[in-house]
Amino acid sequence: MTAPVARIVTTRMPSAPEPIRLFYVNNVFRYSQSYLKREREFCQAGVELVGCNTPEADGEMLALLISSLKEVGLREVRVDLGYASLLKDLMNAAVLDTQQKASVQGLLACRDSVGLQQFMEQNSFPSDLRDAFLELSRCRRLDEVSSISLSGSKYDKLNKQLDSLTELQKTLVDYEIDDLVFFDFSLTKKIEYYTGIVFEASVPNLGLPLGGGGRYDNFIEKFGKLKLPATGFALEIGKLLQALNAQGSEIPDDTKSRVIVASKFRDTAIEAVKVLREGGVIASLEITGRSLEKTIEYAKLTETDYVVSVVSSLKSTVTVYDIKTNASRNVMFETFLKELGGRC
Amino acid sequence: MNKKIRIAIPNKGRLKKPAIEALGQAGIEVLEEERAYVSETSDPRFEVIFARANDIPVYVQYGAVDLGVTGHDLIQEREANVLELMDLEFGKCTLVVAVPEESTINSLGEVPALTRVATGFPNITRKFFEKMGKQVEVLEVSGTAELAPKLGLAQIIVDLTSTGETLKKNKLKIIGTVLESTTRLACNKIAYRTFEKQINELIARMRGGMEKE
Repeated sequence: MTAPVARIVTTRMPSAPEPIRLFYVNNVFRYSQSYLKREREFCQAGVELVGCNTPEADGEMLALLISSLKEVGLREVRVDLGYASLLKDLMNAAVLDTQQKASVQGLLACRDSVGLQQFMEQNSFPSDLRDAFLELSRCRRLDEVSSISLSGSKYDKLNKQLDSLTELQKTLVDYEIDDLVFFDFSLTKKIEYYTGIVFEASVPNLGLPLGGGGRYDNFIEKFGKLKLPATGFALEIGKLLQALNAQGSEIPDDTKSRVIVASKFRDTAIEAVKVLREGGVIASLEITGRSLEKTIEYAKLTETDYVVSVVSSLKSTVTVYDIKTNASRNVMFETFLKELGGRC
Repeated sequence: MNKKIRIAIPNKGRLKKPAIEALGQAGIEVLEEERAYVSETSDPRFEVIFARANDIPVYVQYGAVDLGVTGHDLIQEREANVLELMDLEFGKCTLVVAVPEESTINSLGEVPALTRVATGFPNITRKFFEKMGKQVEVLEVSGTAELAPKLGLAQIIVDLTSTGETLKKNKLKIIGTVLESTTRLACNKIAYRTFEKQINELIARMRGGMEKE
């Protein structure tokens, strides 16, 4: 959804005060080139933070990602974070051609450290760069990364990026999430698009990432004149449900009750439907004039929870037929509405 | 979390025995080899699942198992997004393009447009010819692709060969190579994060076992 959001920011919000914080929950359609028969429509919830590229902005996204997952009810949440621009600059510093870059990325993505070492030896990598590559691919914690630096002024840009990771690490400490965010140099997806950190969230019980995001400072300008740094992430709702399921969590059932109101007193029945609907209940009026037995039969076939028969006033008792238990009882209308969790 | 690490290995075929041996050399003895889908091992941290080799890439990608022993060719064919942590070096084979011996086609360049290609590897085959800029009709067959030219189903086949015997027996000649393959230790990306220490230890032991040979 980042592209549509970028378009909105450029065309509809050109003078919005920065930073801009946006969120969405939407169905996303993705045409995949893959021949696998994957679903192409899925629901995504995401946020974008536009107009700021400080470590605090990155930290805010990571903190929001983690708290969102916790809020949903997931346990053992972790985020793994790579650094797209650092990898790009390291490969440029080693003067690799397109094919060599692809090989390095492939080896990193496969976590083939033996292959990576061989490749760097065969392609006569400068030893300081080789050490940095291997060290980075071994690092799992952000504070380990901060101990790496390259000497020589030609590496100033690289060192600056390494420093910014240290700053991010400190931000995460302040958010008290530094023990949940791990470094993973092999995260190289969409490296052409991301310009800073790139990250992915997961839980041990599910073998697929729940979602992820990263910094994309050069993307929004593609939609117009605005040049704005930005970062964001998206979560796949379906994956969250799968993960909750895998962790054995009860997914709260907030489906609304369905009620049919049947009565020969049309005015009271219409009022009852109105009050039920206002109270958050899915209510409908019996309009066919069929008998109560037939109405109950219809309710059974349409997954309705209750059939309510009202008399001339809602102030008196109503008869409630519970379709699931097949029982009926007389109860005050107000009490019934409260039982359904509705408001009067 | 004390979840066991699940390793999928082929339930039959030429990869099964060497896969069990490779684990054995790493100190993981499979205890119930016969007729079990899930087997305990001598190392309580690991359990073994027997599955079809060509399903293993999907099992691993979706995290149904944490690790899997399967062919590089199958991982490519299923387009599985998995880590290939280690080349186990057995089950060596080559995916080749072959035509009948009497065919006038002698190289890939001579394959005419809209040729019918029979293969058990439709994805790899389609991509291979697309990359060459050749439009071919890919017919998926499961097994015995070498029969296709004889029956007039296809002019060309893309099939696995390890010694070349079957191709020769069916009077087919190789005109190009699509992919060299060996057996790999595939790993689910998230499982690697969760069990990095245990998995790296397993790999080190398997490497040690292979060097001893």
